[in-house]
Amino acid sequence: MYQYDSLDRDILADRSAEFRDQVARRLSGEITEEHFKPVRLMNGLYLQLHAYMLRVAIPYGSMNAKQLHKLADIGRRYDKGYGHFTTRTNLQFHWIKLADTPDILDELASIDMHAIQTSGNCIRNVTADPYAGATADEIDDPRVWSEAIRQWSSLHPEFSFLPRKFKIAITASAKDRTVAKAHDIGLMVRRARDGTLGFEVIVGGGMGRTPFIGPTIREFLPAHRLFSYLEAILRVYNRHGRRDNIYKARIKILVSALGREAFAREVEEEWSKVGEAGDLPDTEIARIRGAFSRKAFETLPAQSEVYDAAVSADPGFARFARNNLKPHKRQGYTIVEISLKGIGETPGDATSDQMDVVADLAERFGQDDVRVTHEQNLVLPHVKLDDAPEVYRALAAAGLGTPNINLISDIIACPGLDYCALANARAIIVAQDIARRFADQDRAEQVGELKIKISGCINACGHHHVGHIGILGVDKKGEEFYQLTLGGSGAEDAAIGKILGPALPLDRVTDAIDTLVDVYLRERQGDERFLDTYRRTGDAPFKEAVYAETH
Amino acid sequence: MPKLIRLEAEHFVEADDSFTSVADDQDLPEGDVIVSFARFQSEGHALIGEGRRVGVRLEPDEAVEALADDLGKISVVALAFPKFRDGRAFTSAHVLKSRLGFAGEIRAVGDVVRDLAGFMVRCGFTAFEPADGATLEQWASSVQRHRHVYQRAADSRIPAFAEREGR
Amino acid sequence: MKALTANRLSDGEVVFWKAGTWVERFAEAELFSVDEPAILAEGQAKSQPTVVVDAYLIDLIESEGLWAPVSYRERIRALGPTNHIHHGKQAEGGDAILALQHAHGAARSSGRVNLIKRK
Repeated sequence: MYQYDSLDRDILADRSAEFRDQVARRLSGEITEEHFKPVRLMNGLYLQLHAYMLRVAIPYGSMNAKQLHKLADIGRRYDKGYGHFTTRTNLQFHWIKLADTPDILDELASIDMHAIQTSGNCIRNVTADPYAGATADEIDDPRVWSEAIRQWSSLHPEFSFLPRKFKIAITASAKDRTVAKAHDIGLMVRRARDGTLGFEVIVGGGMGRTPFIGPTIREFLPAHRLFSYLEAILRVYNRHGRRDNIYKARIKILVSALGREAFAREVEEEWSKVGEAGDLPDTEIARIRGAFSRKAFETLPAQSEVYDAAVSADPGFARFARNNLKPHKRQGYTIVEISLKGIGETPGDATSDQMDVVADLAERFGQDDVRVTHEQNLVLPHVKLDDAPEVYRALAAAGLGTPNINLISDIIACPGLDYCALANARAIIVAQDIARRFADQDRAEQVGELKIKISGCINACGHHHVGHIGILGVDKKGEEFYQLTLGGSGAEDAAIGKILGPALPLDRVTDAIDTLVDVYLRERQGDERFLDTYRRTGDAPFKEAVYAETH
Repeated sequence: MPKLIRLEAEHFVEADDSFTSVADDQDLPEGDVIVSFARFQSEGHALIGEGRRVGVRLEPDEAVEALADDLGKISVVALAFPKFRDGRAFTSAHVLKSRLGFAGEIRAVGDVVRDLAGFMVRCGFTAFEPADGATLEQWASSVQRHRHVYQRAADSRIPAFAEREGR
Repeated sequence: MKALTANRLSDGEVVFWKAGTWVERFAEAELFSVDEPAILAEGQAKSQPTVVVDAYLIDLIESEGLWAPVSYRERIRALGPTNHIHHGKQAEGGDAILALQHAHGAARSSGRVNLIKRK
């Protein structure tokens, strides 16, 4: 965790006071809704179908136990005892009153949290690898750079009213757990041959109505030049991004219209004018690095007797270990993924009680560290193998022991028409139905890695474009229909899925998924994943099977 | 004479506005005027030659660099916010102040609201025509609300990273 | 048949117009069988910017002898989210809620009268 200093705290306090004043002006009628809306969105406050929704920033998906306890507390006192973790690793409260929000922001500020720029046409919460600091294959800790970007972008005077929202992701591992290539800017940490730290800079990826896998505009940007380069990209975008059409306003449209080379040239030219004056001094990066609390890893044997015994004795733990535990950089430790995809539950939802359980476990067994993944799960990144069985038992007792990470029931779903004012169709109910169909964990494991992602509208908050199977809800003459896409990927082999055929009515979606899985199991060779088989066979066998009846 | 809020030596003052903003289809009045970029191109030098002070109003899609050669003769650059959500004028002001070194008045016109006052000042604006009825006191307190800032901008405020180094 | 709906400014609660005031239950909403008073009410509602946000008329259909919003979206607003049946107005139960839950024949997803389609 990055430790706030008094300046960071003053900035939150001042922002919170400013928002309190803005809410008061709206309630008194001094400002209109048209004026207030962009102002409240700058602080993550939406008006949804049933109530206000407050999106709390969890910067790069990283928090400590005290913060998670406070989120649980806010959920109990101001919401209905739960919260919803999102694909931007934020937490949404869905039943918030406008008049309460200034107090909630003060509560958040008391534990060094905020809702700054979780919406609006500004630089949003930066996402990073949820395994940062725990995985063996990372070049540098992406949280250091994420925090530096958080500070640089917070209340940025020039870049807070961009043509459209702006999302940045950072990964430092060969295995991409951030969907970096589908971001406005994806930064991949690289090390040059001479050892210099830097970034591969990808610009103009994105989902939404017009999905793109972003092109690389610079193979290697020395790390100490990051901020001048970001300034150059943002300035080119702020000046030239389209403002006449909301659906063409993201930077991906600008990059695509100019072409990668021309866009890169514009950025390089602007960058040469910005110069080193736009960079953050190395001393500040060093300070931020130092402000992340050091982890006290013990020297442990690679094998744990407690762990091995539990695997033999408890099939439930063995299954959990197989699916939810990931290798840690230190021997004797493991990364614990906590699924928020209980069978039949709402993907990404956690009750306040569950948040408290996870926070307690982080304190007792996890070095006070909790992460949120873009796949709407939680992570305890540093748990001793010795403690894993006890952590599992506590999670299972709280309904958090679902052993389905990366399996077919580990589904991303946006809130959809059950909550969202923009949605055309429900997403949650589709996820619940599919998960129930594949509740048999043996079958789910037999199917293996299969990422289903569901969005309730074309804005694609549910990442359907990069699902191995993507599901998009559409409104067909007032009925909920769902369009399937296959072959998408949000990992290092990022790809946009291809539409399989005509949209299906709600009651045919789960059957269609079942059919797709059957085709995969029939066609797969060796240890191919669903995605691998699809890439080899193309969509013909899948299409044929799903639309057989209508032929 | 109409009033505007002006930033003078780090203080906000209410000032008389001697400039008349003139639309393209309007006859030119006497005295100091602010005209569009198009009108400035055709009539600007003649107007300056008459000895009056001249300002230029730029819409968000008009690049400030186009004024580079004339900045020494221009008294005011008025940057328009057709809607306050249109943030291009922030970049225009930044470039005008930091890169082109314009020392005259950079004025915010259009949908100018106090919620953005702090951003405007940081980007280099020095004069404001609030459209939300903000008073001098309200404007000043909006700008001064934030005790620290995280990033360098076109103003002289010391960013947090430099404040920290100084400790 | 039409009803007039909005979200209350202070807490975002879904509300319905009833003779110059706002009620939380759809069952208590004023029903307009002719357009003129509905449009008049909509105009009055729009002049209450410190009470409600974004007032608009919705179309209704008959369901089990009662009236229900024609669109799915509006029924979800009148009931609550379908994934948490104890949240929102549906938690109260009763015949009026059941009629809404059983209604079908959805039209435009927004259900707004005179909806201007986004380009």
